[in-house]
Amino acid sequence: MQRWCTILCALAVAAVGALAQTAPTVGLRNNTPAVHAFANARIVIAPGKVITGGTLVIRNGVIDAVGAQVTIPTDARVRDMKGLTLYPGLVDLASDLGMPKPPPAQGGGGFGGGAAAASRPEPPKGAAHWNAKMFADVAAADEFQADARAAEKLRSQGFTLVLTSPQRGIFRGTSALVNVGEGNLTDLIVKPRVAHHVGLEATGGFLTGYPNSLMGIIAFIRQSWNDADWYRKAHDVYNKKSGGRQRPETNTALATLADALQYRQPVIMTASNKLNFLRVAKIGKEFGLNLWAVGSGEEYQRLDAIKAAKIPVIIPLNFPEAPSVDVPEEALNISLEELRHWDAAPENPGRLEKAGVPIALTSHQLKDAGSFLAQVRKAIERGLSADGALAAVTTTPATWLGIDKQYGTLDAGKVANIIVTNGDLFGEKTKIHEVWIDGDRYEVKVPPAQDPRGSWDLLVSADPQQSGTLSLKGEIDKPSGSVTWRGKELRLASVRYTAGRISFTLVTDSIGLKGTMMMSGTVGDKMIQGIGERNEGSAFTWSATRREPMKEEADTAKPKKVEMASFPDVFPAGEYGRPKLPDQPQNVLIRNATIWTQGPQGRLENTDMIVTRGKITRIGRNLAAPGDALVIDAAGKHVSPGLIDAHSHAAVSGSVNEGGQAITPEVRIADVLDPEDIWIYRQLAGGTTAANILHGSANPIGGQNAVVKWRWGALPDELLIAGAPAGVKFALGENVKQSHFRPGGQPSTRYPQTRMGVDQIIRDRFQAALDYERSWKEWEKDKTNIPPRKDLELDAILEMLKGTRLIHSHCYRQDEILMLIRVAEDFGIKIATFQHVLEGYKVAEAIARHGAGASAFSDWWSFKMEAFDAIPGNGPLMHSQGVLVSYNSDNAQLATRMNWEASKAVKFGLSDEEALKFVTINAAKQLRIDDKVGSLEVGKDADFVIWSGNPISTYSQCEQTWVDGRKFFDLQEDVQLRQQIQKERSTLIQKIHASKQSPSGPTPAAGAPRFRRPNETVLRSCMEGFYDEE
Amino acid sequence: MKNNIAILALFLAVAISTASASDYNPAAKQKKPIALVGGTIHTVSGAVIENGTVVFDKGKIISLGVNIVIPDDAERMNVAGKHVFPGLIDAANNLGLSEVSLGAPGTVDAAEVGLINPNVRAEVAVNPESEHIPVARSGGVTVVVTYPGGGLISGLAAAMMMDGWTWEDMTLQSGVGLVITWPSMVFSPSPFSQQTRESWRENRDNNLRSIREAFADARAYMNAKKAGQGRGVPYHDVDPRWAAMIPVLEGKMPVLVNAAEITQIQSAIHWAEQENVKLVLVGGRDAWRISDQLKTAKIPVIFTDVQNGPNRRWEDFDQVFKTASMLSKAGVPFCITGDRSGPNARNLPHHAANAAAYGLAKDEALRSITLYPAQILGIADRVGSLEVGKDATLLVTTGDILEITTNVEQAFIQGKKLDMRDKHKNLYDKYKEKYRQLSEE
Repeated sequence: MQRWCTILCALAVAAVGALAQTAPTVGLRNNTPAVHAFANARIVIAPGKVITGGTLVIRNGVIDAVGAQVTIPTDARVRDMKGLTLYPGLVDLASDLGMPKPPPAQGGGGFGGGAAAASRPEPPKGAAHWNAKMFADVAAADEFQADARAAEKLRSQGFTLVLTSPQRGIFRGTSALVNVGEGNLTDLIVKPRVAHHVGLEATGGFLTGYPNSLMGIIAFIRQSWNDADWYRKAHDVYNKKSGGRQRPETNTALATLADALQYRQPVIMTASNKLNFLRVAKIGKEFGLNLWAVGSGEEYQRLDAIKAAKIPVIIPLNFPEAPSVDVPEEALNISLEELRHWDAAPENPGRLEKAGVPIALTSHQLKDAGSFLAQVRKAIERGLSADGALAAVTTTPATWLGIDKQYGTLDAGKVANIIVTNGDLFGEKTKIHEVWIDGDRYEVKVPPAQDPRGSWDLLVSADPQQSGTLSLKGEIDKPSGSVTWRGKELRLASVRYTAGRISFTLVTDSIGLKGTMMMSGTVGDKMIQGIGERNEGSAFTWSATRREPMKEEADTAKPKKVEMASFPDVFPAGEYGRPKLPDQPQNVLIRNATIWTQGPQGRLENTDMIVTRGKITRIGRNLAAPGDALVIDAAGKHVSPGLIDAHSHAAVSGSVNEGGQAITPEVRIADVLDPEDIWIYRQLAGGTTAANILHGSANPIGGQNAVVKWRWGALPDELLIAGAPAGVKFALGENVKQSHFRPGGQPSTRYPQTRMGVDQIIRDRFQAALDYERSWKEWEKDKTNIPPRKDLELDAILEMLKGTRLIHSHCYRQDEILMLIRVAEDFGIKIATFQHVLEGYKVAEAIARHGAGASAFSDWWSFKMEAFDAIPGNGPLMHSQGVLVSYNSDNAQLATRMNWEASKAVKFGLSDEEALKFVTINAAKQLRIDDKVGSLEVGKDADFVIWSGNPISTYSQCEQTWVDGRKFFDLQEDVQLRQQIQKERSTLIQKIHASKQSPSGPTPAAGAPRFRRPNETVLRSCMEGFYDEE
Repeated sequence: MKNNIAILALFLAVAISTASASDYNPAAKQKKPIALVGGTIHTVSGAVIENGTVVFDKGKIISLGVNIVIPDDAERMNVAGKHVFPGLIDAANNLGLSEVSLGAPGTVDAAEVGLINPNVRAEVAVNPESEHIPVARSGGVTVVVTYPGGGLISGLAAAMMMDGWTWEDMTLQSGVGLVITWPSMVFSPSPFSQQTRESWRENRDNNLRSIREAFADARAYMNAKKAGQGRGVPYHDVDPRWAAMIPVLEGKMPVLVNAAEITQIQSAIHWAEQENVKLVLVGGRDAWRISDQLKTAKIPVIFTDVQNGPNRRWEDFDQVFKTASMLSKAGVPFCITGDRSGPNARNLPHHAANAAAYGLAKDEALRSITLYPAQILGIADRVGSLEVGKDATLLVTTGDILEITTNVEQAFIQGKKLDMRDKHKNLYDKYKEKYRQLSEE
């Protein structure tokens, strides 16, 4: 940071000092003195540092002096600031001012994918990076075009300086610090190439191409930082010892990223929701980036984790508009999560401030940047300190940027970026009169020089005997009022007051003059002199003499009652959330249950089990209860291990497929875990406690898996089972050869398009990994040559070849199963599991001999050609030949009833216990986590289910589900949670109705598009049409 | 384990005994009376008869009970320790119209083009060679109501028996109902959708108008044709679309309206009242929210969503499991179907069982896949329960049909003793043989 700041500061000074000019003078020079004294002002020099009746002097764009006792220089133009307040100009760190507007971002992504790189919107220019979503070498300073309207809007909110950044791609380029003024671009652009901007969304109309999933984007970002590091090293070596070496490529994008790494240039990443925040924080940590995040407004929902990330946060004020609850059926479709966010979002800035998270505020993401100050006011009402708010747009961003010696306060020596207001900057009725940038004055809303309001003695030439009274009130530039004349009060209509002239009409029937009279006049300090025309056409003159100025009406409006969020935070922040994880009692005693140990002890009747701090410590009859034990009478109940789903796609943010390339083991499900997927709770309610979350089946070598427990309410990383071996998804057959994927109605051209090609591409990548390893060994001999490029894809494949990364391969037909076994044998490795493995029963002996597990659908078939020979006897038949068999869900709903899937094996003669192993210990063995879970044995994790009866029976219900000795589901608690949901929903819906009826009106539509998560009812699964079995 | 192998052996022995070849054929007509003796008889319409006997001849049940007279020429099957159930009825599926739904369009005849196809008939495209048929009956499903799909008015559903050489043999009842899909009535765009509220509304209104106009046109056609029987009225050319709808307009055939969401359901009910047509709701995920209205109007619900998951994030985790129970307790006529796909038709009883696990009375669960669908679809005079005079369409099982672990040992359709082989059993046995051969090597 230090070094980066030094560079930036030096340049910033230079930029100001260099103002005017290398350009030749056209016509005469302008030598108007640029010395101004703002006298009699209330001056907010910095947050919390205020002087009244002070003077501020600026000279040539720089603050010369400020204070209560400043002598006004004799060469200054004096500006009387009586009643006005000066603030330092505001800074916005997340602007797109003057940037080309990118096409709208497209959703989707996932399965499909053509060529490796995205199709570029235009042919690449220069030494462009291979990936069309990489724009790191784009500089805002080069792209910037003055946008007078947008600048005017920003000035209306007090902004004088913004960090504007390009908006397209993943690596979007570098930002520029830009004055929100007008004039020469050389004056406006204060500092080019300030920070790198990176987003977790591929913005700019990219539909296809690698990467097209969130996890693919994260993998791409990770690889790119590695590539940048390699690029610098490679060129260093090459430049030092030229000759005899292959020249490393020239790549301007990687060159700029390498600089960012070397000089710790700020990297600003967009975190469009709270989970993405945690994701970018991890990337920042991994590469030691000088990372700032542009937040989402959801940060308060995971405050502790976000605080712990220790990242400066630029937060938008896009508080969501109230969900539509006027129509009952639409209200039904609003989740509690959404209602709660509407209720609590305005407290986000305040809560972050209180937690000590460094924050800056941005107008970015507001529908109308002109509502920024109103949104800040709302944030202040809801807990943000006024000084904190001011700091978050002045001193804080200046400090982060390392330009706090020039910007952020009104201290002498700083750049003359000043806001002039008629009151507290965040006050409801405050108006910004003018803004000064680099010592140049920009009018925002300067009130008329003469205030016409008050009462005036009226004298009309046409009616000299009758004097009257003119009363004007209301807004200074939009007055209203009346004339009292001949004893009657006549209301003024069509009142206008512009350029010092007031005009209005009067209906004069009531004073005996039929029709409408028109009057206008020029307003002076003491007199109005005007003309008029009467109804019958005769002209007259009139004058008015000020009797008294308008009396400020006492503000009789009651102070607005501020309603804070109605409910305390829960995790997840909505349905079925809890204030914290369920307790882990010191001891739990389950008494008198039928215990299905699924281990060597078999099924035990009338047996007790003791759990101590999350581990099973005893199983036996008539166990003595430890003194503090929570005792559960389970007489008549059955207790089984928590069910384990060896093939799940639940709890994933974004697409489960990175289909932009055929080989993607660099992508990681663990990067995109979504611990708030409601199916986690629903699966717990069915006794499922652990899952193997897999990449989809779009690619022969897909992404890395995540083996998790369903710890509902935990953070993403807390779902992971510590010590579970790493794994990866492979896929064979129709999906990877893209039988059902026809981009634009044409067959895809991605290699492979046949099962023959699948065999070859897997072999080729395996061999590539071995060659890669050799190149590293070669380099490591003396480490003087250009190092090999670190390749995360090949690193992952090497782990597979070394046996430290388990291969879980989606497959259907016997030919492809056998093919993969032979490939594995040729490379001396084992396939951990075949997934779905519908024709496994045809080659069960080969699977058994190879030692692979088989994780199957119980009975799905005939949904496509390669599933036509699937049979429900598959699992039992493989089992009979010695294959380790499990049943999986591949479908979030099916995973709520895994025990009933196991029941299907009983149809083929398996015992109830053997069948239940298909969803407990066998799945655990396949995932190599059977030392922890999968059976009820002393020393194992206390992951268990209490059933109302035999879990194999279709009539049995899951009553309680425990994970790590914590009760994550309980039928009785569920009833309470439902009531809680009802109560909270109805309270918040009433609150929305009340807010619409309140005098201040409904929540202004300031937000970005309404918060909404993808449809919860979409089941990620085998049967999901286009995305079929993943 | 040994016990289980014995059961498996028994199961296979029974299976193999019905077909010596690896193929499976439609069964011959019943030639002489058959008596199933000594089993637990689940009549469904009446009490469970322990140690009972069912006798059927010429395809019809002729007697059932305890100590009944068995005709001398009857083939006696000892079913002691077994259970006898009426054949199960899947009230909503497209079995026979879609063999391999993805990647083999040649095997799919599920939806005709266009929005208004009231005249297409499902039964004529049901492929008697579909591998789904023997598999369905192995699961105890003897009658499947096959729906055409697509568009707004999709065509005529037919009740198909799961055995026969031709679709005509298989057809129990053609024209069971006219299938309609109600337009979505609530604007809930997906996060990726670019659809605006306006374009959605326009589309919805167009669809509603299309349905109303089709009925108005059909009614005009019917009236003109009727008038044409009088003197001096000119001839009206035949319009097969409107002709097909006349039974609906005359109240002889129900409309089977796909509707899941509450406003779809209420909109469809209002429409059906206006059109004065007999309404059956299909889908019904939100039906429990207006069960009093459904009960009062006596509108039956074919509930298709037991295993579909809650509709909304905040709903109860078991909402779909318990919906059938809520309808039952509220007095709404209902039945339960599976996931409406041919391959999975055999899992029909699991859906009813899941509902039973979450509150539906066991006898109601059984009725929800036998008698209730028969009543709702107007075929209860022949199937749905074990009663004298009804079709001998029934099952012999190893236990409670609602337990997944139960196997169907023998099924009869109209007295025909079905070949219980199917593709799955054949492949199972074929590869048993592979491993037998390997074990001898």
